[in-house]
Amino acid sequence: MMNFADLVQIVWENLRAHRLRAVLTTIGIAIGIAGVIAVVAVGQGGQAVIISEIEKMGSSLYFDISPDYMRGETADSNTFSIEDPTIIKELSPAVDKMAAITLGPMVDVRLPSSDKKTIMASLYGTNPDLIHIMNLSLEKGRFITDLDVTSHSRVVVIDAGLAEDLFPKEDPLGKKIFVQDTPLTVVGVLEKAPSSMMDMFNVRSLYSPITQAQDMLNTKVINQLCGTAVSEEALPQAISDSIKILESRHSSVSNHYVGTTLEEQLEMVGKVTSILTTVIGAVAGIALLVGGVGVMNIMLVAVTERTREIGLLKALGARRRDIMQQFLGEAVALCLLGGLIGMVVGIGGAFAIALAAHWPPLISVWTVLLAIGFSVIIGIFFGLYPASRAASLSPAEALRHL
Amino acid sequence: MIRVNGLTKVYGSGDAAVHALRGVDLEIPEGDFVAIMGPSGSGKSTFLSILGCLERPSSGDYYLDGRDVNSLEDDELADLRNKKLGFVFQSFNLLPRHNVLRNVEMPLIYAGVPSDERRKRAQELLEQVGLGHRLTHKPAELSGGEQQRVAIARALANNPLVIFADEPTGNLDTKSSLEIMEIFQQMHRAGRTIVLVTHEPDIAAYARRVIHFRDGKIVREETK
Ligand SMILES: Nc1ncnc2c1ncn2[C@@H]1O[C@H](COP(=O)(O)OP(=O)(O)OP(=O)(O)O)[C@@H](O)[C@H]1O
Ligand SMILES: [Mg+2]
Repeated sequence: MMNFADLVQIVWENLRAHRLRAVLTTIGIAIGIAGVIAVVAVGQGGQAVIISEIEKMGSSLYFDISPDYMRGETADSNTFSIEDPTIIKELSPAVDKMAAITLGPMVDVRLPSSDKKTIMASLYGTNPDLIHIMNLSLEKGRFITDLDVTSHSRVVVIDAGLAEDLFPKEDPLGKKIFVQDTPLTVVGVLEKAPSSMMDMFNVRSLYSPITQAQDMLNTKVINQLCGTAVSEEALPQAISDSIKILESRHSSVSNHYVGTTLEEQLEMVGKVTSILTTVIGAVAGIALLVGGVGVMNIMLVAVTERTREIGLLKALGARRRDIMQQFLGEAVALCLLGGLIGMVVGIGGAFAIALAAHWPPLISVWTVLLAIGFSVIIGIFFGLYPASRAASLSPAEALRHL
Repeated sequence: MIRVNGLTKVYGSGDAAVHALRGVDLEIPEGDFVAIMGPSGSGKSTFLSILGCLERPSSGDYYLDGRDVNSLEDDELADLRNKKLGFVFQSFNLLPRHNVLRNVEMPLIYAGVPSDERRKRAQELLEQVGLGHRLTHKPAELSGGEQQRVAIARALANNPLVIFADEPTGNLDTKSSLEIMEIFQQMHRAGRTIVLVTHEPDIAAYARRVIHFRDGKIVREETK
């Protein structure tokens, strides 16, 4: 009876003789396993995003208004105006709070004293209502005021992470920081958000009066409006009112607006996630099937090529089970090799998708175990037939084979 | 130790049937050195492979070391081949992807011999056939004579009762043939039973008995 260590050695010595063949055979399995890992990661990542969004906003009253991206429209300086939120609130009884947002690119933030150490953060130019709409709370100081907005005040509210980065020991209130080389005074610090999975990204945010932010970013574009309705029932009304008002106020240009609720946004994420997992899952399934058949094929070729050798092994005293083990071992080893390659590629792919989709890359021990387990099962499944064919050869006949 | 009675072997059936053996009776006592000769197609290899438990006869009795071989299961036959029988073939039949040491270890692996003991035994055997310095070479890196010596070392791995050799010198030049026959001679002197098929009278001359086959039957026997 062969022990496991001997089996591994013999399998390795046999596969080593055909390195290129082994690697090529495993490509299908590798793609399949990479796909399986990506599916798991995408599924978990999408779910994490939904959960963290719910945690963060915690509001079913939220909605936002954007240019109709589906028609290829993007925000320009005529899409929204700074006065829109106030006017919509006045005209629609369904709308409770409303804020305009000018979202800058990632900006450089640094202390006046050091010009080396800069921190990247996303800059929100907005007005006072945002704190309520986004469900933010202040740890100290104050948020942006209407006066800040009208007077282009050079003030900024920073999040807890940024406060820790910039002022680990001091009180940030009243301190000056440079944002894109404009000095701003810190007037408020936000509380640490309830820990969400998005924290892994460590994205820092800061908030300035929208007028001031536009000056700094040298733009007149407002990217979107967001707000809350007075009640859940009023949500559709709030959205349609907002759109109607916007259309009449910006009729000089033909703008189309869409309103989205938080629920719809999450549905979108869910839909995209499930499409992605279905597509990748299907590709992975096909690849695993094709890969498995490839392994089976190469093992059948090996059995034919080595018929004489099998006869010899039997002459030396190999039993059915020994031959079976040896060939099954080779099939499993091939699939494991593919599985390992696929695991590396899959984990890389999961990271890439996570980066592109802005969700945390979730690779767990389970993913790795899944990949290994799957490879072994495929190896056994597709190796069984060739191995049993090898094992059932009669020794004399096999030895006569040329 | 070996006794066969009325051994026949038929390949195929109906019009295509080939009668490779047509009733062979033979006894080989322990320690005997038998050479089998005869024209091509006379059934020598078939006979040897039945004696070696590589295939079963169509009819007839076969007793090996007191056991009725016909009644044994496939796994029992495998065990018999592993522990009691050794084979040497015309085309060496070494495992091309494994080194010399591993080739000799193979029967010991199937016998479940622990690895250090196995290694020691394989090394000893290879030293006995003069290849103690070629342990890590692949078969393709050896000459024909050297390959056949590895095959002999492998056949001896589990210290078998009988060695079956089917034209062991058929692919070798005269010098290598003589070297190989020297080894067989030594094995014989050490008391091992040897059954060898050959076409060459020079080779057969090493044996104590020469058996002549024709058309699947023993037609003549000479004893020294
Ligand atoms: N598997 C088989 N199927 C059909 N016929 C076979 C088979 N094996 C052997 N034979 C036939 O049986 C007969 C005896 O073959 P065997 O190989 O025993 O001859 P041999 O005496 O060893 O010949 P050689 O000296 O050429 O090796 C031959 O006619 C051969 O064609
Ligand atoms: Mg022959």
